[in-house]
Amino acid sequence: MNEIFDVLIDITVYASVVCIILYLKGFVVNNKAFKFFTLYLLAVALVQICMRIHGHLTDSAPNLHFFVYYFVSEFILLSLFYKQLLGYKVIYVITGCVLGFIAAQYIIDQSMYYRYNPIGSSITRIIIVCYSLLYLYKSLSHGKEFLIVNVGVFIYFLSSVLIFASGNLVFDAKFSDVIAQVLLDMNGVLYLVFQLLIIVEWYRNYRKPVTTVINS
Amino acid sequence: MKDLLVSEEGQVLYILLGAIALLVLMALAIVLFFYFSRKKIVKAELEKANLQIEHQREVIQANLITQEAERKRIAQDLHDAISSKLNIVSLNANMLTERNIASEETNKIAGDILKVTTTVLESSRQIAHDLLPPTLKNFGLEYALEELCDTLSDTKKFEVDYYSDYETNSLSETSELHLFRIAQELFSNAIKYSNATTVQLTLEKQEDIVSLRYVDNGRGFDLQKAKEAKGIGMSGIENRVAILNGSLEIETSVGTGMKLSVHVKLI
Repeated sequence: MNEIFDVLIDITVYASVVCIILYLKGFVVNNKAFKFFTLYLLAVALVQICMRIHGHLTDSAPNLHFFVYYFVSEFILLSLFYKQLLGYKVIYVITGCVLGFIAAQYIIDQSMYYRYNPIGSSITRIIIVCYSLLYLYKSLSHGKEFLIVNVGVFIYFLSSVLIFASGNLVFDAKFSDVIAQVLLDMNGVLYLVFQLLIIVEWYRNYRKPVTTVINS
Repeated sequence: MKDLLVSEEGQVLYILLGAIALLVLMALAIVLFFYFSRKKIVKAELEKANLQIEHQREVIQANLITQEAERKRIAQDLHDAISSKLNIVSLNANMLTERNIASEETNKIAGDILKVTTTVLESSRQIAHDLLPPTLKNFGLEYALEELCDTLSDTKKFEVDYYSDYETNSLSETSELHLFRIAQELFSNAIKYSNATTVQLTLEKQEDIVSLRYVDNGRGFDLQKAKEAKGIGMSGIENRVAILNGSLEIETSVGTGMKLSVHVKLI
């Protein structure tokens, strides 16, 4: 059973690379929202690959410092992505406040860098879920852009809030590795579903190059 | 001790898995709710758009019918008032070319030609006036309606009451023409069908709304039946109001006369 999940998690790394290749093809011609989303995919894939390499080189030494880059870059880029889709300037203010809060956490307690940060990761995820819910509401009347990706963001981020919030259980000596493994596997499966939706979005809406019709 | 740990760990695991599954289900339910709501809204918007297209089609169709009727009327006018009389002129002129014609006869024929050409001139002036009244172009809607009321009053069949506080050129030239045509159609209906003895016409401007109100004491009609019958006259009025993006109120029933108001917003 564990082997199946290991394979699934390996697939998420390959799928990340595939997503980037697909989305980079249309990077120049598409709008700002598309560009921010591609950058988000790039950031997540880089963190994933760095963690893999780090794991191989240091024989599974603690890699929690990567996690900071992961959730902070994810939050910034997805906030910018939703700013383009929703058009609300207040998103900049919210992003600034949350980043200020996270920075304060790390300035006050510098050892936090090597520890897991459930509050920071949960807050950023909940905010992204709120943005995606707002976009779902907005898409009722107009806006067809990134609908499938938005559904993916909503399902993955809402479901994984609990996984990320309970991340400290993994490091609790009271519990065995089973819980950590189950949480990681669950996250892997949910992330794979999200990646599939990202690929479906590309296939349905961005596969063909953007063409401009010139009436002569 | 180990069993206790396993049992505690198992409970935490089950709770976590249950909560995550619940969140996944919740997320799916919300997404499905939005998906079906969107589908419903899109369907409703599509139906609305189809209705609008249908309405526009009806307006275009009614316009074409009105246009054809108008062409027919002009052709009839030209035939009756111009062509037939010009035939007489031509015939008389032909007689003048004959050599052995007496001087008296020549004078009589010339007199006839003069009389007929005068009538033809008057008729052509009347036709041109009916097509586009010069008063409307030169002095605006207020005076064109006044002239129209005078014409109706001259028939001696109606007591016409006209009031206006409209400022000329508040509406565009095209909008003024549409309002004028509506009044013309109402007066035409009054003469043909209403049996009315008094007619009131009011043209008012209040803030940014121009209102044309018409009241008669005629025999009225069944509004529902008139709508079903879709006579050219009434649908012509409705179409013009639709083009003006205005609103139309009609109050009538058999034996109670008719009240009609058109309200047009200034842009």
